Amino acid sequence: MNSKGLRAHSLGDSAVTIAFGRERSSDLLERIHATAQSLEAAKIPHVEDIVPAYLALTVFYDPLHASYDEMAKKLLDACERPTQLPGDGAEPRNHVIPVYYDGLDLDAVAAATGLSTGDVISRHSARAYTVDLLGFVPGFAYLSELDPSLHLPRRPEPRPRVLAGSVAIASAQTAVYPLDTPGGWHIIGRTGTVMFDPARDPPALLRAGDTVRFEPVA
Amino acid sequence: MITVTRAPPYLTVQDSGRMRSRASGVPQGGAIDSFALRTANALAGNQLDAAGLEWALGGGSIKFEQDAVFALSGAKAQATLSGRSVPPCTTLYARSGEELTIEQISSGRFLYLSVRGGIDVPIVLGSRSTYLPGRFGGHLGRTLKRGDSLALGEPSSRSPADGFHCAADLLPRYETGIVHVTLGTHSDLFDEASWRTLTESEYKVSAASDRTGYKLQGAPLGNPVGTLPSEAGCPGTIQVPGDGFPIALMADAPTVGGYPKIAVVAEADLPIIAQRSPGETIRFELITIEQSQRSLRRRASDLHTISQLAIRSSR
Repeated sequence: MNSKGLRAHSLGDSAVTIAFGRERSSDLLERIHATAQSLEAAKIPHVEDIVPAYLALTVFYDPLHASYDEMAKKLLDACERPTQLPGDGAEPRNHVIPVYYDGLDLDAVAAATGLSTGDVISRHSARAYTVDLLGFVPGFAYLSELDPSLHLPRRPEPRPRVLAGSVAIASAQTAVYPLDTPGGWHIIGRTGTVMFDPARDPPALLRAGDTVRFEPVA
Repeated sequence: MITVTRAPPYLTVQDSGRMRSRASGVPQGGAIDSFALRTANALAGNQLDAAGLEWALGGGSIKFEQDAVFALSGAKAQATLSGRSVPPCTTLYARSGEELTIEQISSGRFLYLSVRGGIDVPIVLGSRSTYLPGRFGGHLGRTLKRGDSLALGEPSSRSPADGFHCAADLLPRYETGIVHVTLGTHSDLFDEASWRTLTESEYKVSAASDRTGYKLQGAPLGNPVGTLPSEAGCPGTIQVPGDGFPIALMADAPTVGGYPKIAVVAEADLPIIAQRSPGETIRFELITIEQSQRSLRRRASDLHTISQLAIRSSR
């Protein structure tokens, strides 16, 4: 552990995970994103990829040219003196995503929350969400924070296939499935917006820090 | 050019994967046994990270539409070239019009075919690998079908000699079933008993296993936390979901996940688990990260040796 309470841990032979804390918060997430941008800008030799997350960031490197110990030490030093502060990053963009609220689980969500389907739709589309991070599958953005009255645990059995464009909720978050994939979130609607296109630059529509609003389509 | 004349149930273009797009959720991907693909590339006279074919689940045939140099590696299968038997891990020359036929795979799970010049499909996000869930990379983002033709790239060096064979002691010891692991990022959340279970019992690869991950059957581990806020995993990460049965993440695994990560498979041993079919067993042995990286460097140096010997054989 270093003076700022950061801890390094190996994630296999080719990655170091730096843990920043144990409690999730938007301040911590912003600090992790800013530190990830600092590391990006520092262009540390043999670093290949940087993956920010809620409590930690993970740095992938080439283990044929740097040992874990060297890399962990270098990264802890760099994380201690970030050159970017929260808010220094790219200007957040605002997105509006049209949604047909006719998802497979809409009725079940209404029943479980004690709301009408109309209330579920209006509460889901009432607020602007922040992109916490991208991960899971290409272009999948974790969006926070859902109206507390809509918080539900994930479905006990994930579906083997959730269709691309499905708009879903779980716990305090909402997301759009960018491609057909197994998934355990509650599907409340669908959109035709393309969340990820490998031929686009950048391929992912959303970036961490952006805001997203969902607009009901009749 | 090569053409698929009889397609096996699973056949895709793979290389060493996408190393720089994880932050937008793009999995590393690439050959699930990347050591085997690299070996086949060395024997075909290619750069180690050239694209080849990953083959599984059954037999099929490929026709060479030009004179070609090729090699097979990874899973073992009965293979013939115009009726002559094709040995594994050997440089072979094919004449234009000849057909390579693979019969049922006899041991292992994924077989690799490298052809001199490499498979020349477009590079998508830094790699020629097929990512089936996203329908991109490889040949039109899908498995290869009968009638698909693939262009070959320009050879980068001289061709190894016909019949050049790779010494067995330079290959991973697939038959042992011992898979070394290092401590995972959440190793300290698991109690003594879970650690004993993981390292002292035998695990069987279940039918629920594919390029995303291998679900393991055996003694369940205690999951102390349920799920945690998502963070990055990597191929080889052993995560423990609520039911206590570990999952070893593989090439196409999600970039982040919330199950606690008890251990990570040493990269040098990833081929051993990757090549296990459902029903086959493995045992885990804990090593330090220093030992693990040392074994990976040894594996890289073995590959370099195979490349050097192959190139020298052409003189």
